[in-house]
Amino acid sequence: MENKEMLQNAEELKNSEAYRKYLNMTHRLGRISTVLVLILLLSAPYMIGLFLHAVPNLPAAAKAFLGVGIVYLVSCVAEYLIYVPMLGAGGSYLAFITGNLINMKIPCAINARDIVGVKSGTPENEIISTLSIATSSLVTIAVLAVGVLLMIPLQPVLQSPELQPAFENVVPALFGAMACKYYRQDMKISLIVLCAMTLLFILVPSLIGSTSMMVIPSGALAIILAYLSFRKGQKGEGK
Amino acid sequence: MELLSLLNSPVLYLICGGIIFFVAVICLVFAVRAYRMGKALGIDTAKMKRVITASATFAVLPSVGILLGVIALSGSLGTPWPWLRLSVIGALHYETQVAEAASEAVGIGRLSISNMTPEAFVTIALLMSFCIMWGMIFVTIHGKAYTKKLSGQTEKKPGTDSGKKKKKLNLKGFGDTAMTAMFIGLVSAYIASYIGTIISGNGRFTFSGSWLPLATAAVSAIAMEVFLRIKKTGHADWVDSFSVAGSMLLAMTAAVFLGKLL
Repeated sequence: MENKEMLQNAEELKNSEAYRKYLNMTHRLGRISTVLVLILLLSAPYMIGLFLHAVPNLPAAAKAFLGVGIVYLVSCVAEYLIYVPMLGAGGSYLAFITGNLINMKIPCAINARDIVGVKSGTPENEIISTLSIATSSLVTIAVLAVGVLLMIPLQPVLQSPELQPAFENVVPALFGAMACKYYRQDMKISLIVLCAMTLLFILVPSLIGSTSMMVIPSGALAIILAYLSFRKGQKGEGK
Repeated sequence: MELLSLLNSPVLYLICGGIIFFVAVICLVFAVRAYRMGKALGIDTAKMKRVITASATFAVLPSVGILLGVIALSGSLGTPWPWLRLSVIGALHYETQVAEAASEAVGIGRLSISNMTPEAFVTIALLMSFCIMWGMIFVTIHGKAYTKKLSGQTEKKPGTDSGKKKKKLNLKGFGDTAMTAMFIGLVSAYIASYIGTIISGNGRFTFSGSWLPLATAAVSAIAMEVFLRIKKTGHADWVDSFSVAGSMLLAMTAAVFLGKLL
């Protein structure tokens, strides 16, 4: 009975004129803000280029995009389709502008929803998600700003030649951590793909300089193997 | 080193800080509007305040983890640019991979300040901005229609799922698997390149390439394993906020010492 009343209340709120106006304005503001942020982010490298007397090498950027950017294009489509229903309108605009979705915004919004006990698609969810994501974004901005200010006196230490091996190995450090995280999810596929790619790099060493492009065949092989395994699993379930 | 000083100059702080400030204003505007609308809809203000407090405290630990990411990237890209990228839109794993791919494409080899040129930096910066903007584009073009459609779907009565919908859910199951597989492929390409470097980096089967990238990756993997075990045995979910950045920083520290040994 109580649930029925709550649903009726949510339906009334959803259809109220004030809420509809709020949502329309949220979309308008969200679109304008997103476009402005996009323009700022894409123009920032050119602004920096003016200061450094350099312009971006567009053919090189296009080549790198074909290698690694495509992976993130697919990833962004999946994130968009999966997370927008959880975040509502206002939360989605803010989350896609401020990033760090999986490691912060989504768990934060879900935590907020659990605290208040709201359901997806309701006006309460729209309000709570927006409040949660806006707050967490502001906290991140503040923490980073304070941290960066505190880092300024440390610049000479960070730039010392002794520490350069550390900064020259940022990428291997990242992939080691990621390998540990992802390989455990499917050891068989991971081993096959790793062996195949290692063999390729050993036999054709010139490919080592184009590792980002080699992500395409490596990813394709992993997806094909995953699909075969998925189909096998489905057939097993069907029997 | 001179370029690193330029990348840490006040002009870059001003450009990056200005954009971050603009994003902070957007967040503030959305928060104030949501709070006012919540009040108008009759949502308990105590509940909304609880959400604000909980979200603020929830965000502190991951934010410190993100700050560690800024430190990790500051040695190769200066501080202001990673500060902007990780405050707005980005994530540490994404930024590092794209920066590495752009370094290769622009012809400076691996991501490193010793090889960096102004042209390489602005190309890397452009690519970092470009590659991850799709979520923003989709939500701008299709967000309104999508959220409206979803809002309509919630009104459907339960128990009306058709066979077609069930089939879609099955495919969604593969979507998650495919995403994991894609990341396995991405990680494998790089790890394999480190092994390939050792064996054939200076010519096929010469076994004279650098061990340092593979050793660094191994230390990072071990550190990540330790973090995951702490999380599992200690039921410490907060470890997730630090696991990637923490593993990276430990491995980078190890690289300083391993560099002298190997």
